[in-house]
Amino acid sequence: METSKALAPIKKIIKYTLVDEMRQKSFVVMFVICAICVFLIRGCYQGNYMVNGQALDAATIVRTLSKVTFHIIAAGVMVIAALLSMRIFRNDRNEGMQSCILSKPIARWQYITGKVIGLWVLSVLFMFILHSIVFLITSINLKVFMPEYLVASLLCSINLLFVIVAVLLLSLQMSDIVAFLCVLGVGIVGFVADGIAAASHSQMVQSMVQQSAASPQSELTWWKIVYYFWPKLLGVQQLASTLIEREAFHGFGSIYPLINILLYCLILGALLFKRFGNEDIV
Amino acid sequence: MIELKNVTKRYESLTAVDDVSFSVKSGECFALLGPNGAGKTTIVKMLLDFIRPTSGDLSLNGIPSTQAECRQSIGYLAENHHIPANLSGWQYLLRCAELLDLSPPEAMEQCRRIVETIGMQGREHAKTGTYSKGMVQRFGLGAALMGDPKLLILDEPTGGLDPIGIRELRLLLESLKGQGMTIFLNSHLLSEVEKICDTAAIINRGRLLVKDAISDIVKEGDTLEAVFVRLVKG
Repeated sequence: METSKALAPIKKIIKYTLVDEMRQKSFVVMFVICAICVFLIRGCYQGNYMVNGQALDAATIVRTLSKVTFHIIAAGVMVIAALLSMRIFRNDRNEGMQSCILSKPIARWQYITGKVIGLWVLSVLFMFILHSIVFLITSINLKVFMPEYLVASLLCSINLLFVIVAVLLLSLQMSDIVAFLCVLGVGIVGFVADGIAAASHSQMVQSMVQQSAASPQSELTWWKIVYYFWPKLLGVQQLASTLIEREAFHGFGSIYPLINILLYCLILGALLFKRFGNEDIV
Repeated sequence: MIELKNVTKRYESLTAVDDVSFSVKSGECFALLGPNGAGKTTIVKMLLDFIRPTSGDLSLNGIPSTQAECRQSIGYLAENHHIPANLSGWQYLLRCAELLDLSPPEAMEQCRRIVETIGMQGREHAKTGTYSKGMVQRFGLGAALMGDPKLLILDEPTGGLDPIGIRELRLLLESLKGQGMTIFLNSHLLSEVEKICDTAAIINRGRLLVKDAISDIVKEGDTLEAVFVRLVKG
């Protein structure tokens, strides 16, 4: 009884967040452009691809292209989620909804929970629909059925939660655009670092390193520590894409990015609740 | 109904509210008066827990203002009220009703009644982006009346209203007062306050100068305006 009483205002705030965002022309335009872009990828599936003089078979082309598209959509929707989140408090403040809601018997934690879940649901739906378009193209046009593609999409939703919570928290400390750029920066640095790390583990690079026999690698350097603790957004995407590839997980190392992002969500979420609890409502 | 005990609010070196204590009884129509920057809106915002006091306690119906339950039967109209431009006045009122957990038929009935009370029949379905400041203020007042609150907190409610609107507001407040509603009014319009309110407090630079029945503050042959100017100018 008590729980349902506490949940009732949260559900309403989720509904208002969804409705208000979907009514925005910019949101609709953004969605339509993204959907058209995903549809345009359809043409890539029909091409002939040669690797080392050998033509790739259709199934390999579909899986590889679908995986690339998966990463592009997941990363793109993270940017869109950050854009949607950065102005949410400012809009609510300027339009009087924040004071309207909080002058009712609704606690600040309920307001924040409603906002975070509302934005998360919206972003997850956004990403899921785009991934579903790819899924439908491969299923109907190319007769390659990949249900794991949709599961992978849902797994990536944890990244969206991280982005939303981080942008909301930072937008309370600094201007909206700076908050957006900071989270974008965290994402880009993480992607680049993960990319370099992945490349350094490749056989080609390792053999080059052995040949040059440069200075021996130190066991644990400060940048390695930073690297391991940095938000593993690309790691989560790669973990999700292993589902598409139907690869097996390789122990703790595979699921570490998921744990890393979950921990970040918890820590940033706690900071967001604490920070908003002390915020002056104007 | 409302109680402030040694409430102080400091912003770094500025003391917006300085050790203010007073109470407002149930059914009382109370006015908080003071010049610009005296700390009136800060007190209202602390009552609603929009701002936390540096020290002191505020309570509504015996419940600390930091607890959401204390706002169970409060209607609030902000100074310079805003409504999302993508909503109509009707949708805005419906949202307020939903947030108060009113059942859909009850919400519709209350919205219909409130639109009539605030004199906005025929304009309730237009987008609020097309409303004048006075019309937004009227819908803000309507939102404050949603759910038949026991306490009405109005921060400069006459802002943007024309003389007819001000008169209608006064008549409405008199009627609500007659129904036993407690009214906490923040206003500059001393002549209106004198007509409606039973008690008043005057603050200046965050300090409480006087809190008493208006009949005791304003002696015979005097006006509230004259008393206000005398107290504020020292």
